[in-house]
Amino acid sequence: MKRINALVLILVIGAISSGCVQVKPWERDLLARRDMGWEPDTLEAKREAHIYFSKEASMPGGSGGGGGCGCN
Amino acid sequence: MHASSPSKSPTRLAFSAVLVLSLFCANVAIALEPGDRAPAFAAPALDGKGTVELSRYRGKVVYLDFWASWCAPCLTAIPEVEEMRSEFPEDDFQVIAVNLDQKTKKALRFLDKNPIGYPSASDPKGSLPGQFGVDTMPTSYLIDRDGVIRYVHRGFKRGDGSKLRHEIRALLNGSPAAKAPGANRKKKGNR
Repeated sequence: MKRINALVLILVIGAISSGCVQVKPWERDLLARRDMGWEPDTLEAKREAHIYFSKEASMPGGSGGGGGCGCN
Repeated sequence: MHASSPSKSPTRLAFSAVLVLSLFCANVAIALEPGDRAPAFAAPALDGKGTVELSRYRGKVVYLDFWASWCAPCLTAIPEVEEMRSEFPEDDFQVIAVNLDQKTKKALRFLDKNPIGYPSASDPKGSLPGQFGVDTMPTSYLIDRDGVIRYVHRGFKRGDGSKLRHEIRALLNGSPAAKAPGANRKKKGNR
């Protein structure tokens, strides 16, 4: 039984360790694509964030307190 | 108290396995530094015409530049490198580039708009940056007439050209500006 546990542990660690692979600096070709970004359109994202924090009377952006003067 | 034999303990076996796996997991990249010999490579040319060989330029000071079309600082560097190439005597100084785009079409499209007068190899699988231990894009190496790396430049921002020119000039005049290995090792926080 203990042997099976050890084997399972090894297999689990083996499976998890495959996630240790590091993306090399020269392998960022696909990651550098615009559509791989969290926000494909930076300008649009900034505009939306501005509308959001103005409406929510919060500053800065979607987090943190303060603001509400309507001047931002 | 029951004492189990250490050689048969499954827990010990598991720990040993974890240790061995962690060794495999360790990602140790050896970056070449000033004083190291540049690996002599031959890679297909980006334009499909023949190969680009480093050994062909032995006897000249070589500026080796790793670049890709998706890397913004690389594209900033290219016009500057092209300018440097024309500033130094062709008999003494050679620029070689290694393109790392997975699809060479994008690189060729960039070069159509920004032509360069030096050869560029194509290495879509990235075996050459692995050999040199490139850890930042772009990275360039200044190699002396004997094939020894004398300066490593990581990243590129406007104004870096003057520093590079200084290093090239020093090497062309026979006073290698080589620093102690690791002297210009990358600091935390990429450019």
